[in-house]
Amino acid sequence: MKYFIAALLALLAVSLPDLVAAASDALPPDAAPQPSRLDYPVIAGISARSLAWSMAQMHLFLAAFVLAVPLFSIATEFMGVVTGDDRFDTMAREFMKITMAAYSLTALVGGGLLLTLLVFYPHLMGYLVKVFRGQMLIYALLFGLESITLYLYFYSWDALRRGNRKYYHMSIGLVLNTVGLTLMFVANAWVSFMMSPAGIAPDGAITGTVWEATRNPLWNPLNLHRFLANIAYGGAIVGGYAAYMFLAEKDPVQKAHYDWMGYTSNFIAILGFLPLPFAGYWLMAEIYAYSQQMGITAMGGILAWLFIIQAVLIGTIMLAANYYLWSGLMRTDRGAQYGRYVKYIAVVIVGGFLVWVTPHTLILTTSEIQNLGGTHHKILGPLGIMPAKNTAVNLMLVFTFLSFQMFYRSSREPVVPWAKSANMVVVALYVVGIANIIGAGIYGYITPTVYKVGASVPQVVTTLTIIIGSVIIDVFMLRGAKSEKVHWGRMTERSQYALFVLPVAFTWLMGLMGYIRSSLRTNWHVYTVMKDNSPENYIPTLGDAGNTITGITLAFMAVMVFVFWLSRLGQTRQKNAEISA
Amino acid sequence: MMARKYLVFVLALVIWAGVFYFIDKSIMQAQGLPVGADMMPI
Repeated sequence: MKYFIAALLALLAVSLPDLVAAASDALPPDAAPQPSRLDYPVIAGISARSLAWSMAQMHLFLAAFVLAVPLFSIATEFMGVVTGDDRFDTMAREFMKITMAAYSLTALVGGGLLLTLLVFYPHLMGYLVKVFRGQMLIYALLFGLESITLYLYFYSWDALRRGNRKYYHMSIGLVLNTVGLTLMFVANAWVSFMMSPAGIAPDGAITGTVWEATRNPLWNPLNLHRFLANIAYGGAIVGGYAAYMFLAEKDPVQKAHYDWMGYTSNFIAILGFLPLPFAGYWLMAEIYAYSQQMGITAMGGILAWLFIIQAVLIGTIMLAANYYLWSGLMRTDRGAQYGRYVKYIAVVIVGGFLVWVTPHTLILTTSEIQNLGGTHHKILGPLGIMPAKNTAVNLMLVFTFLSFQMFYRSSREPVVPWAKSANMVVVALYVVGIANIIGAGIYGYITPTVYKVGASVPQVVTTLTIIIGSVIIDVFMLRGAKSEKVHWGRMTERSQYALFVLPVAFTWLMGLMGYIRSSLRTNWHVYTVMKDNSPENYIPTLGDAGNTITGITLAFMAVMVFVFWLSRLGQTRQKNAEISA
Repeated sequence: MMARKYLVFVLALVIWAGVFYFIDKSIMQAQGLPVGADMMPI
């Protein structure tokens, strides 16, 4: 009898949530649906979450790439028009060639994602369609327009290459980029709505317009963050392509071309990457402002450990990008004179990296805690909090910029009589700026928390002041400078592997951060409005999440290698001797 | 000539220090965090 009662209680405990959910069928007609566990289709034992996760992430990788490349492709094309240098135009076209190979795959995976969501999460999709109404049709329309303008932009390149026709061509590119960005902003609205819903009542009933739902609290921070990240990511991917071609080519002229392409791509990646931490900071601050609980889940809960992995990956990106720039000093004869500074920059980058990866609280065994006298290390513990990390990141950015500045200067000898004085002004800017960044970091330790957080803003502004101030002084100082010959192609093969590291680390990083952003909703489809009652509505262990993210990253890199190979195949011609044989 | 270079450097140090002090103080106050002449919370 007691077994029967126990079994009955167990059955009741299991089925109670469903019974409650069933009882809630009497929701107001406009409210968000509350599906029970049984409402989620189970098909052939497929893990719906893993499938949707993989599809969404793969689609995002490809979409980020195909949206970003036209952006800097048109900028490169414009450079070609301004400078009259045909190499820019050729390179811009080549950027687009890689995009074309990836575009159909983007659409294919996007279609796969949509089907996955419709099959496995029909209630959520139905609700989102109800909230965003006609906007989804506009998205489809924009996608069609994107396809048309993309093909038009690429295939009309040679037909509209010279004279006034070039401006028609760039206008097509402008339309393409406008449509592409709008597409991204629309998709961002759906994703950010799921995190910070707006324009609805607490029960999910629609009370506002589509615009109100679109312009939810996290929409713009996400827009900015993804825009910058896409630029950096696109640059890293085409950098990987250039490295692939550099290593594969035997012809010195072609090698020189791909070396230049690799340098430009790395420059684009760094350009997008430098302001990215600040955009991320804004996004995180807005997440905290919207829901402290959500912020704490990210930075203080289980997901906080992933930020340590994030630090490792960003440190890897910084080291690889700097190593590539240092290697580039050998392209000019004057470059060697800057070589002696490299070791100092390396110390700062590695030091910053180590500070960044230092966790505040350590995962320890009981005996380790006893030996240490607590979970915090006496010396390293203080490095685990934000003032130290903000300082490290800002210094790493400043010194990465310095690496770039050294390379830029190595091919130019100033001729203005006040060059030495101007250089001293730049050195002073670095010295005071760095002292200010470190000082603001120390300030964070001796002031209350609110000042500690507030002091991170002057640090960011200082970094930007150093970069912008140096650029302005260099522009005037190097006006009419004596140009030193840059020996494009005079690069080690080892340096090209640094260019490979960038897309791999970026892809991994995006997968990781995307997972964090999505997991912030915990067991909600739409945060606090529509509960996720599916069997997989829990946050997976760090190990499981890491394996899934790594699997997706590997799959994407395999796709990219295929795309690179396809692009190379497209320009390979069969030799005459082979034809006659 | 050499002396002028270092004179410019020292002058630049002082000017940049003033610029960054102004930036720091303005930003802290703009965030509603009043600070004194020593940048410490008032």
